[in-house]
Amino acid sequence: MSNVRSLKPGYYEALRRLTLELAGVKLGADSEFLVETRLAAVARQEGYDDLPSMVGELFSEGKTRLAVNVVAALLERDMRFFDDKAGFDTLINDVLPLLCESFKGQPINILCYGCGSGQDVYSLAMTLADISQKHPSTRFNIVGLDYPSRGLSRAMEGRFTHFEVQRGLPARQLVKYFNRDGEDWLVNDALRERVSFQEFHLLSSLKDQGKFELVMFRNSLARYAASSQMRILRSLVPAIPVDGYLMLGSEETLGELNFGMDWLEGAGGFYKRRATRKHPDMIVAEIAEPLRTDFHE
Amino acid sequence: MKTCLIVDDSKMIRRVAGRILKDLNFTTSEAENGKEALAKCRDEMPDAILLDWNMPIMDGLAFLKALRASAGGMNPIVVFCTAERSVERICEALDAGANEYVMKPFDSDIIASKFSEVGLM
Repeated sequence: MSNVRSLKPGYYEALRRLTLELAGVKLGADSEFLVETRLAAVARQEGYDDLPSMVGELFSEGKTRLAVNVVAALLERDMRFFDDKAGFDTLINDVLPLLCESFKGQPINILCYGCGSGQDVYSLAMTLADISQKHPSTRFNIVGLDYPSRGLSRAMEGRFTHFEVQRGLPARQLVKYFNRDGEDWLVNDALRERVSFQEFHLLSSLKDQGKFELVMFRNSLARYAASSQMRILRSLVPAIPVDGYLMLGSEETLGELNFGMDWLEGAGGFYKRRATRKHPDMIVAEIAEPLRTDFHE
Repeated sequence: MKTCLIVDDSKMIRRVAGRILKDLNFTTSEAENGKEALAKCRDEMPDAILLDWNMPIMDGLAFLKALRASAGGMNPIVVFCTAERSVERICEALDAGANEYVMKPFDSDIIASKFSEVGLM
């Protein structure tokens, strides 16, 4: 670790500030190692000689596209298929039947908010394909949204590494839904057609994205600064119709500000949108300043 | 503590896998090929078997078929751990009675993930 710091100390703080301002995410005190490991690869991809050259130019010239790539690389998470098996079991056995009953005859739109490299999206798609006979008349649309990143590009392609397909994905599912492509594995066309991905700034408004009967936003909330958490939840919750569900990580909660949602007792991080008059938090959201949408150059 | 028999003709792989499995609270034993592994299973059936495919004397697939046909041989959880990466090979192993399949190279996270998926942890 002695040579781990290649940047002037002020740049680490500047990158922490940039990540907070652009994405609302607080990087931890240990982010110097993250900066060095993740951003060295970005510097190579962007054609810089080294990390200090890239970061120096980023802050001296204020390049927006580069800033986005840098922050996206810092935000990437290690993901695995079927992460939180208990949560998936609750989703399949308890929540999906309720959704199919409440929204009978309508397509069920599912949003994976902050989908990263797509493991949640494809895990869900595989599960729904496996149980399609249980809900023969229901169509499921699965959408993954996240910042533009190398991980998201690979998710769009359905491409996973040798190591990624061995984290959480049973071998039977691997041979059923994936094909080998050189050293990588590619999701087969049938499964790929069941999902879609979109580049999206997670602090932007979801107003134009339509309604989602289920929103998965798992194990991400704690990464955000308090104000960004509020902003995201105030954008997410109105996108969920009454009787729709929000799925957080099994250890996560909305806390005292429940945003007009009821915790599904005994079901980890599941919340159901309440059929009552508008919650004060939601009214505040509507009169608050417009959410940022100026992400793309 | 659960027991795991590591079957691989590479001493280095046996050592690396043994270290990972000990960290996962398994008691391990080793065999260099399928024939030796069958003899060990006849003496005492392990809870799990981490099994290479290509080995001299008796390969992993032949061992697995013989194991599953033997008395008590349906009990151990068998996880293939091999450089064979084709869909056909994976299907062949699963059809022969393997519970899971690890493709080399592997790391401790992959072993932990696969052992967890088959209920060994």
